[in-house]
Amino acid sequence: MLVQGRRHVGSKLAALVGGLVLVSTQFVGAPANAADPIKIGWVGPLSPPGGYAEGVLMKQAAELAADEINAKGGVLGRPIQVIFQDTRGQPEEGTAAAERLISQEHVVAITGEFHSSVFLAEMEVAHNAGIPIIAVDVWALKITAKGYPEVFRVAPNQALIAGKYGEWIAAAGFKNVAFLYEKNDGGQSARDVMLPILDKHGVKYDVVGADPSATEFTAQIERFKSHSPAYDFFMAAYSLAGAYPMMNQSHTLGFAPTAKTGIANSGGPAVDPTFWKNVGEGGKYVVTEVVGLPKNAWNDTTKAFVAAFKKKYNHSPSPQAIENYDAMLLLADAIGRAKSTDGKALIAALEKTDIVLGRGRYTFSTGHTPDWAYHQFMDAPVALIQYDKVNQDAEDAPIIWPRDIADVKYLYLKPGQ
Amino acid sequence: MTWDYIFVQVANGAVIGIIYALIAVGVTLIFSILKIVNFAHGDLYMLGGYCAYYFIALLGAPPLLAMLLSMATLFALAIVLERLLLTPLYSDATERKDEYGLIITFGLAFFLRNIAVIIFGPYPLKPPSFIPGVQHIGEMTVTNDRLFAGGVGIVLILALLYFMHRTIWGQALDAVSQSRESAAIVGINSRRFNSVAFGIGAALAAAAGALIAPIFSLAPDMGVLPNIHAFVIVILGGMGSVLGSIFAGILLGEAENLFTAFFPDPTRALAYTNAFGLLILMVVLIVRPQGFFGRRHLRME
Repeated sequence: MLVQGRRHVGSKLAALVGGLVLVSTQFVGAPANAADPIKIGWVGPLSPPGGYAEGVLMKQAAELAADEINAKGGVLGRPIQVIFQDTRGQPEEGTAAAERLISQEHVVAITGEFHSSVFLAEMEVAHNAGIPIIAVDVWALKITAKGYPEVFRVAPNQALIAGKYGEWIAAAGFKNVAFLYEKNDGGQSARDVMLPILDKHGVKYDVVGADPSATEFTAQIERFKSHSPAYDFFMAAYSLAGAYPMMNQSHTLGFAPTAKTGIANSGGPAVDPTFWKNVGEGGKYVVTEVVGLPKNAWNDTTKAFVAAFKKKYNHSPSPQAIENYDAMLLLADAIGRAKSTDGKALIAALEKTDIVLGRGRYTFSTGHTPDWAYHQFMDAPVALIQYDKVNQDAEDAPIIWPRDIADVKYLYLKPGQ
Repeated sequence: MTWDYIFVQVANGAVIGIIYALIAVGVTLIFSILKIVNFAHGDLYMLGGYCAYYFIALLGAPPLLAMLLSMATLFALAIVLERLLLTPLYSDATERKDEYGLIITFGLAFFLRNIAVIIFGPYPLKPPSFIPGVQHIGEMTVTNDRLFAGGVGIVLILALLYFMHRTIWGQALDAVSQSRESAAIVGINSRRFNSVAFGIGAALAAAAGALIAPIFSLAPDMGVLPNIHAFVIVILGGMGSVLGSIFAGILLGEAENLFTAFFPDPTRALAYTNAFGLLILMVVLIVRPQGFFGRRHLRME
């Protein structure tokens, strides 16, 4: 009995010691097993009320990138695992998602997001934790202007996008602009950048803010239409589902695009897969931006990505998708060069990024002039395109601005021209 | 400012108002019979729009037939949902029926909205027009789809009023809304009429969704704003009053549209449209707390 009892106590002690060893290794950080995946967090809208259409495209691109990285053996001999978090376009959801990713999933870096206001919340969490975070399709200037070392951005920002619209509107000779923007960080940022440029060129404008969830613009468009002197351009900065009814209503009410009034929409929906199904004839002559390389400048990575994306998901990728694809490859590249998943080492490696991916040659600025330049991909491609055919792919639409990459002689094609 | 401009703005406001009314009468009907505010009503409107879209896209149904099929589908689906989720409301064992109704319909709204993203996809969809083309009124333009939506909306509302006031089923519904026990004494099966009320409400929402789809496009979150509007309209019209909902729906549609069209500061008009609707609600509630057509005491029993 005594021996049995001792044995019993002995086995309990052994189990306890074994358990303690196991627990202690958890705390001191066991060396990573070769099979342990390197976790990367992804944040973005996948359900209402966020811009879930764009979020889904970005998620698909991140999945594709992870599959390709893993097919080539992963990074540091370990596979990549992407942990997806739906932020629903809500800043508080973004904060919770970033906290979950960092504290529960122990991700080494985060990427994604489509809404500036949500990213601004997420980056605070990443900043406090010292985890690098790459902004994929968020344009507000203050994201990089805050100067957080953890924050990098592959998207162009509003200074690079709305600035191009402002210069193009002036160069195309428009004199009187109706400007409609969604009242959120993205829309207001577009307004703040574009209006001083229009002022500089003596272009007159009237500005109207709209609730981001609005879908009924008829009364406003009739008001624009009856304005005297008549507007010759309708500039909209609308990234959510309301962009389609807005363009439809503008077209059916005979406001824009017409021979008298041109139209542009900045924000993304005009390059989404279902643009033409929703807008139909009203999409012809619409001007919008593409935040990827123009088709005539596609490199091997771009071509391979577009082909693989179409094959896997049966529809074309949006510019946001290729931004997310590149962001994943940038992180894999940085982890490989840092030979570590430590936050500081990754940030240092990202700062030294110099790699050609689907949107050209990536480097991140480390300067603070202007303030938004810090960790911004300064050469992020932005081109303004104008559809000249119904059902045209964005990649096939003529590039009208900037002039050094434009593939048509005109600055703007008027309906009936 | 021309008369054409005023006329077109009033006409557009009326069309939107009729659609609002079509959604809100369903909320009112459900409230009158089941004594709950259905916060998933906007999501039934969304489902109705998608159903009509797929009847057109997959079966090649003409748009008007697709709308009717969608109404029938939502009628049936609503009865299933009511049987599955709302029967605890009729049990004496359920203590907090109001809270139960609130939570279950909120939950249903989130469920339907998110399942729609998975089933229908995240991208907005647009069915073909009921009647393509536009009508020109002087310098102004009204689309045929809006005129059609307004016309069909009026027909459906008149049909509902006829059903409520001139048919034995409508009178039975009225009886249940006034007193469940008294209705039971005269042989009315109130449980059956709970299902009927929920089904009719959903069918009307489906019609609104199908009518609005060629105008606004379909998106999984398209029911969020109508949910708020319907609730505002039901309170404005007087909780439980079908006529009040119709009147308040058209009034709200007109008020919002004319506010956007005529508010002196054109830069803020569109942004403040929804706030203006709520301002009307506040003023009406201060002056007439029971709403336009409401009774002071809602519950007869």
